[in-house]
Amino acid sequence: MADEDNGSNLQQFKEGVLSNNPVLVQLLGMCPTLAVTNSVENALVMGAAATFVVVMSNLITSALRNLIKPHVRILIFTLTIATFVTIADLTLKAFMYKVSLQLGAFIPLIIVNCMIICRAEVVAIKNGVGRSLADAFGIGIGFTLALLILGVVREWLGSGTITFPFADPISVMPAAFTANGHNWIIMILPPGAFLTLGVVVGISNQIRARREKGGAA
Amino acid sequence: MKKFVDESWLVLAMGVVFAALLAATHTGLNDRIKANEVEALNQAIEEVVPGVETKEQIEIEETGAGDETAVYKCLDADGNLVGWAVQAAGPGFIDKITLVAGLSREGDRLTGIKPIKHTETPGLGNKIDVKDELNFYPLQYAGRSTAAPFELFKERVRDAKDTNRIEAITGATYSSQYVMEIVNDVITRIRPQLAEHR
Repeated sequence: MADEDNGSNLQQFKEGVLSNNPVLVQLLGMCPTLAVTNSVENALVMGAAATFVVVMSNLITSALRNLIKPHVRILIFTLTIATFVTIADLTLKAFMYKVSLQLGAFIPLIIVNCMIICRAEVVAIKNGVGRSLADAFGIGIGFTLALLILGVVREWLGSGTITFPFADPISVMPAAFTANGHNWIIMILPPGAFLTLGVVVGISNQIRARREKGGAA
Repeated sequence: MKKFVDESWLVLAMGVVFAALLAATHTGLNDRIKANEVEALNQAIEEVVPGVETKEQIEIEETGAGDETAVYKCLDADGNLVGWAVQAAGPGFIDKITLVAGLSREGDRLTGIKPIKHTETPGLGNKIDVKDELNFYPLQYAGRSTAAPFELFKERVRDAKDTNRIEAITGATYSSQYVMEIVNDVITRIRPQLAEHR
């Protein structure tokens, strides 16, 4: 079967990041998006873990695509994804223990993140390794980007800090913001997650609509 | 038989390879993970038992609800007993809660508690954690007597240092109840056994 030759690998990559962003456009992987974006640190580590899993999953699925029989493909996708999520979980527990406790059950839940098995089913099983890797990196970076945007907004307003992995929290609001409890605690709670996500998806839709109108004109 | 192998050889082969990969990863990283857990425990013990320099684990007859129960004699630099640290676990609202409870030298007072592992609800149940002064829940245990099991109240009883009344995070959080039950387990089942190890 010939590779789907609609565009280049670079285009596939860019689509994953922007026009086909898994969180903001496809609205997949909402659960971790809402749950772990209460700080930038959590958002970035989750994004990195998910990127690792989707890259390995696409790589292996694509390399073995001619051997995978249709009726066992979901089983094989799940087997592959589960294995690499477990590897990511153990690695985090070993090297970033505090963050792994913060992320808690959401790292193992990457296994059921729709966007990963979706890429295997839609791209990796039908395309060569190059295209599949470009797609995986695009989707992974797109996911991380969306999580980062939410993480920045929620941590900034909710805790008055920005925390990068391996570093201490950086205070970005004047001391009076947190000292007197004026920080918007709701932003770290689930309602804040939904509100922020709604606004960001709305803005992203606006931008895309304008782009399309500009292109058609 | 041939059809069976024909259809599933790839799945079986991948299963074997991935299992080996996971086993290798686990073997390689397990020491580091255990070291991380020990460090978290030591940090917690230092926070709840003031003046501790070294600790030695002691064997006790009746352990608590979970098999994670571990009791440590806390010694200062000269080897004198400064307190006790008990690592105890119990069911929480979401998953298991593991905490360290510090007891005074005579065992008659709690010097503090610190949850070290839990997955309670962020923003609500996770206020059992010692984050800052805003989280009054764990801090209110410090200095309390271990004579009687604690009871949970919704009213503001956090400063009632001479009673066994514990103020819940909110009237609706089960996490407050579960942590209190773990602490009660420590003071009723484990504390009486400390005397013989003095």
